[in-house]
Amino acid sequence: MRIVVAEDLFLLREGMVRLVEAYGHQVVAAVDNGPAALEALLAHRPDVAVVDVRLPPAFSDEGLRAALTARQRFPGLPVLILSQHVEQLYARELLADGHGGVGYQLKDRVLDAAQFMDAVQRVADGGTALDPTVVAKLLGRPARADPLAALTDRERAVLALMAEGLSNAAIATRLFLSEGSVSKYTTALFAKLGLADDQDTNRRVRAVLAYLDAGRQEG
Amino acid sequence: MGGVSWGGPVRWAAAVGVGLWRSAVLVASTCLLAVVAVPVGWAGSALAYSWSAGTTAALPLRALAVFGETLLVALWVGVAVWTVHPFTSRPLAGAARRCAARWLGLELAVEYRRARPVTRMATGFWWDGQEYHRSEREARRRAAVHARFHDPQLHGDGVWMLAAAVTVLPVAALPLLGLGFGAALLPGRPAAGAALVLAGLAAAPFAWRVLGPVGRRLLGPVASTRLGWRVAELEGIRADLTQTQAAELERIERGLHDGAQARLVALGMSVGAAEHLVDRDPEAAKRLLAEARATSAGALAELRALVRGINPPVLVERGLVDAVRALALDAAVETEVVSEVPSRPERPVEAALYFSVAELLANAAKHAHAHLVRIELSYANRVLTATVSDDGIGGAAASAGSGLSGVERRAAAFGGRLEIDSPAGGPTRITVAVPCELS
Repeated sequence: MRIVVAEDLFLLREGMVRLVEAYGHQVVAAVDNGPAALEALLAHRPDVAVVDVRLPPAFSDEGLRAALTARQRFPGLPVLILSQHVEQLYARELLADGHGGVGYQLKDRVLDAAQFMDAVQRVADGGTALDPTVVAKLLGRPARADPLAALTDRERAVLALMAEGLSNAAIATRLFLSEGSVSKYTTALFAKLGLADDQDTNRRVRAVLAYLDAGRQEG
Repeated sequence: MGGVSWGGPVRWAAAVGVGLWRSAVLVASTCLLAVVAVPVGWAGSALAYSWSAGTTAALPLRALAVFGETLLVALWVGVAVWTVHPFTSRPLAGAARRCAARWLGLELAVEYRRARPVTRMATGFWWDGQEYHRSEREARRRAAVHARFHDPQLHGDGVWMLAAAVTVLPVAALPLLGLGFGAALLPGRPAAGAALVLAGLAAAPFAWRVLGPVGRRLLGPVASTRLGWRVAELEGIRADLTQTQAAELERIERGLHDGAQARLVALGMSVGAAEHLVDRDPEAAKRLLAEARATSAGALAELRALVRGINPPVLVERGLVDAVRALALDAAVETEVVSEVPSRPERPVEAALYFSVAELLANAAKHAHAHLVRIELSYANRVLTATVSDDGIGGAAASAGSGLSGVERRAAAFGGRLEIDSPAGGPTRITVAVPCELS
């Protein structure tokens, strides 16, 4: 894969470059500030970009904005956002266009190389990779009269893992279920969320969006 | 106008009676300077002008003499007033203040200078703050006299007495004069007398109200007292700020010391042990390294929580409005955010308002048991306002040591204020308003 890395801390940037190269991918650009990140995203149209939220020059949310702008130009351009903290607000903005190919993870996750590269791969494939912390926050919301209220506990758990971006097989392993029963749960929850038969990946993204929208209606 | 009830005339008569009484009280409490000045001026001019009367000097010379005599009369009047003022202004102004409070609900708190404490010096003399005295009694007496007569508020009261003698006195005297002259005229000229009496009675319910506008301007505390109060208030805020800051530093220090620092020590120990074991028992070393990684993740999580408490990242990255939105998303209750703030305020104000809203939101969830919270942010007339309203059980109050008093202090530090509308049973509506400029 061709990858763009945008991260201002030299050590972390070099570490990530080495990591993705060790997994046999090619880093087409490694930049350290917001404007350069946007330029690289637009010029290279990478298979996936790993972008830090906070970048120079202003150290606000330049990275996130560069990613959002690039995704406006090229809808579905896969971007994995890294941050020292995760916010539902940012997750929502990233997922709002409904195109998938979005990841949003704590920087800590880089410590686990295999899991991190797995997330990169999922985003590159057009899926989602939300940090479990964001998902936990979403799950922690009080129950309300919304489409999610109709879900059973099991279905909610499956949806949560789906939001993290796991495949049915991975969800099955995580919940100690057979893959068959997981796909039964997913079918049931798609039906409850009113998602018509569609391409599977896209429908998974939309299930996550429905999840976030449930938050937005009261938010 | 048929069907006039008896309530009207009775009430009118009562108002006239009360008005006459109040006019009389006002006349009594404001007439002193006039009572002193008029006879002195009268007798003084009779005496002084008699000196130049009958002279046949040239006109300019006579004019000069009259001018000098006028100055002399003015001086006598001034001396008379100045002699009476220190002893009478304070009680009379106090009486007027009590009237204003009782009749008009006008609370005019003032403060008079208190006698300074006296101290015995090494020389054996007593120091009263101004000079030395032989005995303690003498020093105390002088200190009391000094405080009593060198008091800006006393002279403020003197100004009231002067102004009242030419404003309140003539107006309040009108009904009484009308009544008195009217009654005197009645036997000789009944029509004119009756008209005067009626005019006096008609004016009675209104005349005393002149106390309001004049008193509001002149009976209040003098500028030095107001400044003193403001200084005391600011000193309180400064003390609060220093204390809050110290507490905050302590919290951060404890957070670092007990959290991240301890974990880093544990991390170092795990890595050291793994280093030791790597040749002999690679499996155990691997386990230790995995443990070390978990510890480092824990340290990071703790640092993150600490940073969020010091300076929330969203606040830095996006500013107040989005930070409040993020707060609302993470809240334990349904929260709605409405913002009409066009741009970012100054950073310290932003942080103060953010933490205030966070506190109010947490209160709504924790204490008010609310189901729906609404946060409104707005900016108008150079004041940034955050209003948090909820449908909870109400009864919120900024008692000492509560979170709300913390919010109040935070706002006060920027010259802002906190308004609480929270009847028992709810709903609660709390507003934090801070004056600021938008960047």
